Amino acid sequence: MDMQREPLSADYVEMRFGPRWTYISCVRRFVASFFMIGLADKERAEQISMAASELLENAVKYASEEDGYLKISIQKAANEVDVCVKNRAEPNHVNTLRREFALIHAGEPEKVYLKKMEEAAMTEGQSRLGLIRILFEAQARLRLDVNDGEISIHAIFPLEQS
Amino acid sequence: MSDANISPLNTEGLSVAVQPGGANVLKLTVSGAVEMRDPGGLLNPYWSRVDEEARRTGMKRVELDLRDLNFMNSSGILTLVRWITKAKTHSSQDAYQLVLQYDRNVTWQRTSIPTLAKLAPNVVVPSEING
Repeated sequence: MDMQREPLSADYVEMRFGPRWTYISCVRRFVASFFMIGLADKERAEQISMAASELLENAVKYASEEDGYLKISIQKAANEVDVCVKNRAEPNHVNTLRREFALIHAGEPEKVYLKKMEEAAMTEGQSRLGLIRILFEAQARLRLDVNDGEISIHAIFPLEQS
Repeated sequence: MSDANISPLNTEGLSVAVQPGGANVLKLTVSGAVEMRDPGGLLNPYWSRVDEEARRTGMKRVELDLRDLNFMNSSGILTLVRWITKAKTHSSQDAYQLVLQYDRNVTWQRTSIPTLAKLAPNVVVPSEING
């Protein structure tokens, strides 16, 4: 069951759209502008929009062809911002994502990032650098939830206590 | 000005201009954004061409000015990783320094560029230029 949560504060945005690549840039710029206002912190806003963009790119690349959609919600709570991207994905992609999560959390983020870069340079195909980039460069926590074929990936950003 | 034969690139919201760089210096200025689905299809052959021309013309320094590149997705980052990985295998005769110029006020540049430099500290020089 998809629990509908009440927004935690006035600083939230939710969107649902078709899995088209050309929309991602538009969403990234919107999210950056939105949180530039909501957080008054350019750096955090750019990190959040980068994470949103990387998560959406992954979702479009690996979305199930049937019932295609992307949902993105970004909510600010008292001490964190939660960027969540949901989509339906094929079972084999769910398994790939679980392995990827285990891999990127298996070591110190910078070392994992550099190792993944070196490995990616030696192989053809997708970069698979998006999640570790969020973890290391944006210093967000990542969480993967799977519910009846729908994947939710959260990038959670701590906020400075004011 | 160098006699390297490299054409400018202008497509899909991304531009690369070739600038006069002085003796033994090749200078490229990148602007726009790299957020297409497959930047490798466009940039891998382009960076390979730059690499070949730098070696053919005996360049000792290639400056890549990224300050006006407002975003680069992780697939775009991978194109630079491939270039750096190739450059660090060059013999001392073919070797050149790859200077990545960035603006610390652009968040992705301040985090990504110094990290890229760690892949090949003897080849890549991150150069912070504000404004």
